Amino acid sequence: MPSYEIGRLLRAGTSGFVAGCAVSQFDAPSFGALVRAPLGADYQVYGLIYDIHIEDDGLVRQLVTAGNISAEVMRDNRERRIVPVEMSVLTVGYEQGGKIFHLLPPRPPLSLDVIYGCDPLELARFTSAGHFGYFRHILRAQDAPMGELLAAHLQQAGQNNPTWREAATREIITLLRDDYPSLMSVLSALSDIA
Amino acid sequence: MTLDFQQIYAQLRQIGENASAHKKTLEERRALALRLLETQAAELEALRWKVETARAADPSLRCALPQDEPLDFHTPPPEVLPASIILAADGSQIVPSRHKAAQYSLINVGVIALQPGSDQAPEIFIESELRYDDENELPTESQIALRRDLAERRKLLEVAGRYPGQKISLTDGQLELWGAGDDNETRREFEKSLQDYLRALRTFRQEEIISAGYIDKPAASWLMRLLEVTTLSPDELPGLREHHPLRGVSDVWLMSRLLGAGERSAVFAFQARSAEKYSGEIALHFFYLNVGEARHPAIARVDIPRWVAQDQARLHQLHQTLVTQSRLMGARPFPYLLHRAHEIAVVSQQETAQVDQLLELTLRQNSGELSEVSGKQSAKDLPKRK
Repeated sequence: MPSYEIGRLLRAGTSGFVAGCAVSQFDAPSFGALVRAPLGADYQVYGLIYDIHIEDDGLVRQLVTAGNISAEVMRDNRERRIVPVEMSVLTVGYEQGGKIFHLLPPRPPLSLDVIYGCDPLELARFTSAGHFGYFRHILRAQDAPMGELLAAHLQQAGQNNPTWREAATREIITLLRDDYPSLMSVLSALSDIA
Repeated sequence: MTLDFQQIYAQLRQIGENASAHKKTLEERRALALRLLETQAAELEALRWKVETARAADPSLRCALPQDEPLDFHTPPPEVLPASIILAADGSQIVPSRHKAAQYSLINVGVIALQPGSDQAPEIFIESELRYDDENELPTESQIALRRDLAERRKLLEVAGRYPGQKISLTDGQLELWGAGDDNETRREFEKSLQDYLRALRTFRQEEIISAGYIDKPAASWLMRLLEVTTLSPDELPGLREHHPLRGVSDVWLMSRLLGAGERSAVFAFQARSAEKYSGEIALHFFYLNVGEARHPAIARVDIPRWVAQDQARLHQLHQTLVTQSRLMGARPFPYLLHRAHEIAVVSQQETAQVDQLLELTLRQNSGELSEVSGKQSAKDLPKRK
C-alpha cells in the first residue's frame, strides 16, 4: 500500500495508542487523520489522531529565553535531540482477513510497531465499510475533543464525497439526539467546515 | 526523617550570628584586593620577578603568572569570522563496583561537531567502551577518569580529522590532566596517561586545532594568590604558605566587577608544579571570561595552550566563539555545544542498570562466572516508600 510512515508505537491499550516520531519526521500526520498499525499479514488496527503534542525539556525552556536561535541549533534540537512528537490515537476499528470491522481490536499494537498514515483510498475504504459504526468510539472518547475531531475527520474523509459527508452528519445527529449539549457542540464544529 | 533538625537549627542560628562579622571581614579583604589590583596592574616585570622569587621560597606555590597584558586588562568579544568547525567533547563512566554481580567499567565519550552558519544540524559521534576483566584488579575511580579524559582527547582528534578548515575544540573542565592519586599503581597509570595526553595536546598543535578547557564558575583563585604574593617583601616570602590576607576573596568576584558583558581578562600562565609538565607550545595558560551581562555576570575560566595564547587571531576566534555559544543558552549562559556534548555522553542510572542486566545475561548464557549482588546493594535497591 502506498501509505507513509508517521512514527512508531510508544504505548497502547485496546481503545487507543500513542505513537512517537522525531520532530524532523513531523510533516505528514495531522489532527483527525486516519492511521493504521499493521500487526501481521492480514491484521491491522485503525485509529484517528486526536491529539498531537510536543514535550519540552529543560534545555528547550532555556533556549526560548535566548534572543536569537541559529538555524543549526534549531535543527540540532529538532533532528538530534531525543524529544519525540507524540500523537495520541483513538482506536476506531481493525481489519482482519481483508475485512474491516468498526469494533475495538482483539489485540492492540505493540511497542515500536510502525504506524502509517492512510492515503485517500484507504480512508475511503475504511469509512465506507459498515454504517458509521466507528462513530460510537469517537462519541464516547473521554479525552478527545469530540466536536473538533469529528469536524476534522469529516473534512478529510468527505473532501471529495459530499454525499458521504451529508450521510455522516445525519448519523451524528441521530446518535446524539438524546444529548443536546453534545449535539450543539458537534454541530457548531461541523458548521465551520460547511 | 533522618535529620535531627534540632541540631541543624542550633547550627543555623550560630551561622546567622556570625554572618554579619564574616561579611565585614570579607568586605575589608575585597577592598584590599581592589587596592592591590590597582597598584600592581601594570607592574608586570616586577610581578613576574616576585613570583619567581616566591617560587624559590615555596616550590608548591600555585598562582597566576602575568604575561603581556595588565592585570586589570579587559576586552570585548572581537568581530571576527567564526571558525569553520566547533567541536565539543564530554565523557562519562561507569566505575566498577564490587557490590554488583559482574564488575566492569564503561567509558562513554560524546563529540558534537557544528559548522557555524551552515544551517545544518550538528553531527554527533559516540564511543562506548565496555571493559570486563574478571582476572585482574579492578581499576579505581581515578584510573577510569584518566582513561575517560584520554578517550575524550583521542575522539576529538579523530572527529576533527573529518573536517577541513579552522577548528576549535572545547572540553568541560580544566585542560590540565588531573588525578595523580596517592597509591603507586595510580601514580604509574597517571604518568603513562599524562605522556599520552601531552602527545595528544601536541598533535592538536600540529593540526592547528584550538583546544580549550572551559571551567564554569571556577573555585580556584589563581589571581588572588598572585595579589597575596605581592603583599610580602622578599624576606617574608618563606612564610608565604601561611600568608592569606585575601582568604575568601575569589577570582570570580573580582572578575565579576572587572569584566563587562562578553569581555575577557588578561591571559595568564599557571605557576604550579603540576603545570610544569606542560612545556613549550603546550604550556598551560588561561583567561577569565564573562559570558553573562554586566549586571548579571557569569564568570568562566578558559584554559588554553601557549600557542593559542600567543596567537591573537586564534585567541579572538576562541573568545568570540565562547561568547556566541554561551549566549545561545539564554538566561543561564554556558557554551551550548558543551552542554550538548554532556547530554550525549552522560550515562544515566537507567542505562547503567540495563548494561548490568545485559552483561549478566551474556555471562549466564555463555557459562561465565557471576558473583552475587552484595547484601548492601540489595538493601539499597529496595523500593522506597512514595
